[in-house]
Amino acid sequence: MGRLLDQHFPVVALAPLIVALLVLTVYPALQLVRMAFSDVGIVSGGTTWTFVGLEHLRTLAEDRTARIAFTNTFIFTIVVVPIEAALGLLLAYLVNQTRTLGAFYKTVFIVPLLLPPIAIGALWRLMLDYNYGVVNQALLAIGIAGPPWLASPTLALPMVMLVDVWHWTSFMFLIFLAGVASIPQELGEAAEVDGATPWQVFAHVVLPILKPTIVVALMMRTILAFKVFDVPYLLTGGGPGTATEMINIYIEKVFFQQFRVGYGGMLTLLTALILSTFVIVYQQLSRRAEAAR
Amino acid sequence: MTFHRTLRWLTTLLVAFALAPSLGAAQQHPPITILINESPWLAGFEVLVDAYVAETGHEVELNVTPFPGMLQRSRNAVTASESEFDLINLNEQWYSLFYAGGLVTPILDIDPEFVLDPQVIEYAYATRWNPDIGYSTEDGALYGLPINGNIQLLFYRSDLFEEAGLSAPTTWDEVEAAAQVLHDPPSRIGLVTRTAPTDWEFQSYLRGYGGSVIEVDDDGQWRVGIADPAAVEALERYIQLNRDYGPANYASVSQAEALSLMQSGRAAMAHVVGAAAPNFENPELSTVQGLVQATIVPGPTADSRATMSGIWVMGIPENLPDARKQAALEFMRWALTFDAQMLYARAGAIPVRQDVYETLGQEDGFGWMQAMADSTPFINAQPRVAEAPQIITAFADQVAAALLGQVSAEEALQTAASEIHRIMVAGGYDVAPLD
Repeated sequence: MGRLLDQHFPVVALAPLIVALLVLTVYPALQLVRMAFSDVGIVSGGTTWTFVGLEHLRTLAEDRTARIAFTNTFIFTIVVVPIEAALGLLLAYLVNQTRTLGAFYKTVFIVPLLLPPIAIGALWRLMLDYNYGVVNQALLAIGIAGPPWLASPTLALPMVMLVDVWHWTSFMFLIFLAGVASIPQELGEAAEVDGATPWQVFAHVVLPILKPTIVVALMMRTILAFKVFDVPYLLTGGGPGTATEMINIYIEKVFFQQFRVGYGGMLTLLTALILSTFVIVYQQLSRRAEAAR
Repeated sequence: MTFHRTLRWLTTLLVAFALAPSLGAAQQHPPITILINESPWLAGFEVLVDAYVAETGHEVELNVTPFPGMLQRSRNAVTASESEFDLINLNEQWYSLFYAGGLVTPILDIDPEFVLDPQVIEYAYATRWNPDIGYSTEDGALYGLPINGNIQLLFYRSDLFEEAGLSAPTTWDEVEAAAQVLHDPPSRIGLVTRTAPTDWEFQSYLRGYGGSVIEVDDDGQWRVGIADPAAVEALERYIQLNRDYGPANYASVSQAEALSLMQSGRAAMAHVVGAAAPNFENPELSTVQGLVQATIVPGPTADSRATMSGIWVMGIPENLPDARKQAALEFMRWALTFDAQMLYARAGAIPVRQDVYETLGQEDGFGWMQAMADSTPFINAQPRVAEAPQIITAFADQVAAALLGQVSAEEALQTAASEIHRIMVAGGYDVAPLD
């Protein structure tokens, strides 16, 4: 018995974790798949599930708002993630070089990350309000009539992106700062002795070493950016019209305002599949980055 | 020993006698829990509940939930084996889901003798459901009892109107004439309308011009009417008035923004929910206290005015034992009496009785209630099918696109009509093909 236990100890030790994982992850995922191919109705005292096959995919093909929401979310992700990464990396590199006030800059740059998204949404909404916002009041003071930042179909999405960049650059900054700080100073100094310019040190010493960190940071931010909900929801509610409609805002409407649980499940499943694709791509990139080191 | 045993027995008997009436009463009137939304009229509802508790001695608990959580909590309650709430407050836009699904109890199933006082406004029969055609109709069964009578009004600055020699507008032409005189941006705009979302206020134009989102004939055949010429004309008028006389962000004005423009004296007219009236009279919120009057929402002609119902009804979940249903109905029966509704209205809530509006409308500070009373014949229903939330999203998005100038009014409504037609067909309705 003792020998049997010894032989299978890893399995026995992991069993509770595996059961917990199955209950908390696999079961909900299977339920989501079931939901995506069913119509879920409510009746007094319960719900009814009717298998509808690919019906929700047919609905999706005709759903103009879902197409707009997916497009907006892709555009949003493609724009904000590289900007946040570039700014975060630049700030991390510069702060790491700073001999004085380093702690001050670190504190200042991570403040946006510490604020709850609700507060960020409310804060920026007030600042960008057309009639009473501080931005337009300031512009008016110098004789410029500010535009309706959040009510214009051309400005609303860039404004949502701006707020997101303000919020999440600090996250990238924090990750990259840890990466940059762990690079031995001697490497840069040796390159400088060999005549490398600061830019060459950054491009040929710092960046290659940071590549795995960058890939992981990009993967995390891409996933989070694609799942964006709170800030656009609070700033614009997806409007004006559908100008800032993101897929998660639309899923919320489908689930909780329109009561279309099955269709909402299909949209969620599709979103999860897109995110899984991102993860696979980034994993490949990560492997290549590791191999290159 | 015998003495002690006898004493214990007597004490038990006395306690049992003492408790028996209250236990009986508790069984007859179990405490009720009401799911109610967090709103400006909540304080009025709390006053109503306190008065009921004081008068009857029955226990009432309120479960106050922010608006975005109301639908989900209501749904959770009715799908549980027994609802945690005895009364659920259902919004105009989703009550039909609960009526159609049999998730709330027909009132006459609880009390076959129940008669709704004719002074209680039914808001184009939001109280009723006809399962044969799946719509709220006059001959439908009574499923919900109104508790908040939200409709739209047109508010206007009486001082500015008087100064300019204008009278309360009854038509959109008169609104435009007044706006031409009073529109002076950026210090003052002629007209502000809530346009985020677009659906509710636009529908008053739509109905005024004789259009409708969907309609059903006596044979139960449905028709999508939102792309009819009357609807296009309504949308063009809605866009033109808001674009020409609204704020620069006219296409995305939230309710809070619309109210703040009026409260701060920066708007001459506001087409918003009637429940906004107390804000204009509140000296802590308003710089135009005593200077704002209300009238019926105008129309293309004075005879074709339309205001939209946006009410809340109380439903009694089906998954409750009879005693709890009776107790819930008893509360609502009391809450709809004239005296209770007067108390409710004075406490800042929006009553649902015509006689209360007419009585209070004569008092200082409640003048807007006369406009509410006058609006009753002009109340129209929003789409009231189980798919209403989908239908409303479908046309609200298109109206917003037209308002933003991204598409023409005609294109927007044709797209909306196709989408609504698809939703109705998918819902199993007998729908006439689109023209």
